[in-house]
Amino acid sequence: MADRRYETLVLIHPEQGEAGAKELAARIQKLIEEQGGTVSQVQDWSLRDLAYLVAKQRRAFYVLFEYRATPKALQEIERNLTLMDPILRFISVRQAENAPPAALRPARRPEREEAEFEEGGDVEQMSEGESS
Amino acid sequence: MARERSAPRAPRRRGMGRRKVCRFCADKTMLIDYKDARTLGTFLSERGKIIPARITGTCARHQRRLTVAVKQARTVALLPYTTAYP
Repeated sequence: MADRRYETLVLIHPEQGEAGAKELAARIQKLIEEQGGTVSQVQDWSLRDLAYLVAKQRRAFYVLFEYRATPKALQEIERNLTLMDPILRFISVRQAENAPPAALRPARRPEREEAEFEEGGDVEQMSEGESS
Repeated sequence: MARERSAPRAPRRRGMGRRKVCRFCADKTMLIDYKDARTLGTFLSERGKIIPARITGTCARHQRRLTVAVKQARTVALLPYTTAYP
């Protein structure tokens, strides 16, 4: 079976901590390789704010895997991912053969997005301009 | 010379303002990627809804890809489904 180019973005529970997330990422990479996949890139986005609550959490560790695998292998990888409890969510997407490898862009500025989230709350403070 | 000026040659459009061009067609290096929440966010309303192509000027082909990307981004909490959550 021809192998295909996939990428999987995994959300890891924040309770795992930096070290735990790294460990789990290593485990997932091993899982992919055990299924006959070849990992070309592992991207650690570290702790990021979620756009909405997932499993009552506000943030999660994001890790992106780029690899080649057969569709059968992907099925097995996904099945195993659903069994891992610290994984909140994941998404697998097939990439075009000629698509450039994922650039490390989204991980760079989590702070700015945070600021956007809190804009609504900050406005109230400014309106209290009563000076004696 | 009786040649007409070609400036007001544009086809008549309702309302004013210039013609909108699909941003992904104009800039071929711009990719539609579900991981790029910042770019996708510019195609969302404040409420987090996808803005129709009629307003953003995105061409049909790119709008289709855009909606898929936005929905993918939503499943991994990179983009909100809605801003109204407790």
